[in-house]
Amino acid sequence: MNNKNKCISSMPVVAASYLGPALMPNLDVAWDEAQLPLSPDDLVQKIIGQPLRRAGRFIKMVCCGALVCLKSVPAADLKEKKIGIFLATGLGNVDEILPFITQVFKHDGGFPSPNQFANSVSNAAAFFLARISEIKGVVLTISQEELSFESALWLAQSYLECGEIDLALVGGCDVFTPTVADYRERMDLRPDNHRSMPMGEGSSWLLLGNTSSKKIGNILSVELDHTSKTQQQLLSDENILSECEKIADSLLVKHDQQKIILPGFRLIGTDHSFFKDKGWRVEDYLPHCGIHPTATAYGLARALLSGQSDFFVHCNYHAAGRRALVAAVTE
Amino acid sequence: MSKSTIDIRGWGAVTTLGWSARESANNLLSGNVRPADFCTSSHLTNRDLKAFEVPYTGNPLNKSWAMLDSALTEAFNRAELTAAEIAESCLLVGTTGGLFIRNEYEFTEIVRQNPGKESPPIACRNRGPGEVADAIARKYGINGQAMTFSMACVSSSHALVVAAQLLQQKKIRRAIVVGFDPLLNLTLQGFASLLLYDSEQCRPFCANRSGMQIGEAAAAVILEENGNANNDCRKKVVRYKFAGGYLFNDNNSLTSAGVDGELAGNVIGQTLTTAQISPAEIVAIKAHGTGTRDNDLSEGRGLVKVFGDNLPPVVSLKGAIGHALGAAGAVETALWLSCLEEGLLPRSFGFTQIDPELGFAPSQVNIPAVDGAYLFTFFGFGGTCTSYLIIRNPQGTVA
Repeated sequence: MNNKNKCISSMPVVAASYLGPALMPNLDVAWDEAQLPLSPDDLVQKIIGQPLRRAGRFIKMVCCGALVCLKSVPAADLKEKKIGIFLATGLGNVDEILPFITQVFKHDGGFPSPNQFANSVSNAAAFFLARISEIKGVVLTISQEELSFESALWLAQSYLECGEIDLALVGGCDVFTPTVADYRERMDLRPDNHRSMPMGEGSSWLLLGNTSSKKIGNILSVELDHTSKTQQQLLSDENILSECEKIADSLLVKHDQQKIILPGFRLIGTDHSFFKDKGWRVEDYLPHCGIHPTATAYGLARALLSGQSDFFVHCNYHAAGRRALVAAVTE
Repeated sequence: MSKSTIDIRGWGAVTTLGWSARESANNLLSGNVRPADFCTSSHLTNRDLKAFEVPYTGNPLNKSWAMLDSALTEAFNRAELTAAEIAESCLLVGTTGGLFIRNEYEFTEIVRQNPGKESPPIACRNRGPGEVADAIARKYGINGQAMTFSMACVSSSHALVVAAQLLQQKKIRRAIVVGFDPLLNLTLQGFASLLLYDSEQCRPFCANRSGMQIGEAAAAVILEENGNANNDCRKKVVRYKFAGGYLFNDNNSLTSAGVDGELAGNVIGQTLTTAQISPAEIVAIKAHGTGTRDNDLSEGRGLVKVFGDNLPPVVSLKGAIGHALGAAGAVETALWLSCLEEGLLPRSFGFTQIDPELGFAPSQVNIPAVDGAYLFTFFGFGGTCTSYLIIRNPQGTVA
């Protein structure tokens, strides 16, 4: 506890989904930052079966990503279950807020669109998702910059553990917003604190808890170390390996199991050969989703759907020097 | 009666009534309450919307930081927290706008400094709602889990309930729960666009009500499991317990909790049941009471469903300090506790006539505070509901 906030109760992963800038669920598809953002309307029609005419991109992305995850589980397995929604977002629905505030200033005191204001409110997306998926009860919108998804996962674990919910639908969503320069500034991306990678977006989700459905894996631990560290400490391959090995040892990972590191967007210069020599493989998911505050959700969901029996640790840190490690295993 | 083990060790607040919870409570109890007025802050472009502004000389961004600092300092001092205790605490922030004020302030400054020129597009440079927690954690050296709830008007009330649950589960040792929402063009004009803004006065539960009025505020409430104070010689008597809460999200309407009172009644009932407290044990109710038609109907009818003819005194603070949006939970809790410390429950401001659809009047005089259980309710955009109980303990317990 204290400085290292750690959840160590294993959380079964019943389902997962990942959606990146190409808007093709659960697929790695090439995309181009210069063409973003793409219209989600075809995807909305395909997944939800009706247009969400009044909703903005953020709300549509949240709903599409989460429903892909939920629909991969037989409806009977969700019936009568208390499901909690934990929506993590670093920047929120900027795509609704910006046009609204532009209207406010443009009209210098006139009334801008009430519908746009309603959709710009921080928890509107979670409400839409709750309504579409007919979930009532615990519905939380959590934000903590680039540690938003890890924080939501940590909190979901406590809700599952105390029995207040049976299942936790935990997702991370952030949307691409022009301009790229503004987007990068909002994420505090400086030349020395992130990987050289295009800006992206995503809506990626995990359904956690116990059902009669076959689980696809387990989230084994979520560790948020809030003691501030130097960038040198955070980026040292030796330190990263040491932390990952500690987790693997504490979780009694089998010797024959492939151990994988998923590097987040702050991890610059990871030496793949160094880790390979120590028995770890580096799996780079970031080219498929680009940099966005909740990219961790994409990386974890993609790894959990890989279909291989692997142990992996997602590693990232906050610009202020706080490290976040999430360990999982696929079945 | 609930056997809560969660102490409320300290609190602080900045409201339109004062730069501390104590000052705000004293002004509230002495009736030194100004109605909402036209705003003067340089970043606010519409001068026709009345709001509850915190008085300050200087730019609105500096004011925001000063409000946060003042609320946190008051809370830390009241709790007598050591630096080590602050460092090991968990930080939960409830806010809707976060530091969006930076975008509005910088934009209006550019326009002001370039008269006659075409306005540039407004840039969005804030880092999302989590930026406030990050800034507080850095400034005060808080090393525990930091997390932000961005849940419209229940942001910090939800944060309080979540904090209590994490404490009960022993996931954390201590929680610093912060509520923060400065006045923004975004929210002032947003609620006006929804036709939910009363241009004259905020009149909670009054037959003449016609909407809400926003008030800016910052607050901090420190929750701790009993016995977790680190330093024996600093142990203090704690007179207030957080006796449990309940949060619920309905999915029927984005903007209304249902005017039949069913949802509000169920949420309050669930809170009492979970805490093993009967309606008869409730001393008074700190209601959400926004002054909008729908909120007051759903909440008022919900209260009547639960309490029937034995409705305890109902108080809405929003006629005096406005609706602090995401900060409302922490702010109204801090202000209420400071009133209890003064030995009085405040009266509701802005009420003149009973609404026949509700059939009750909110408390119209200050009344002596007694020991027992106080009910707090909050309802917000997106079907969000929070309710919790605070118990004033006659003897107090040692933290």
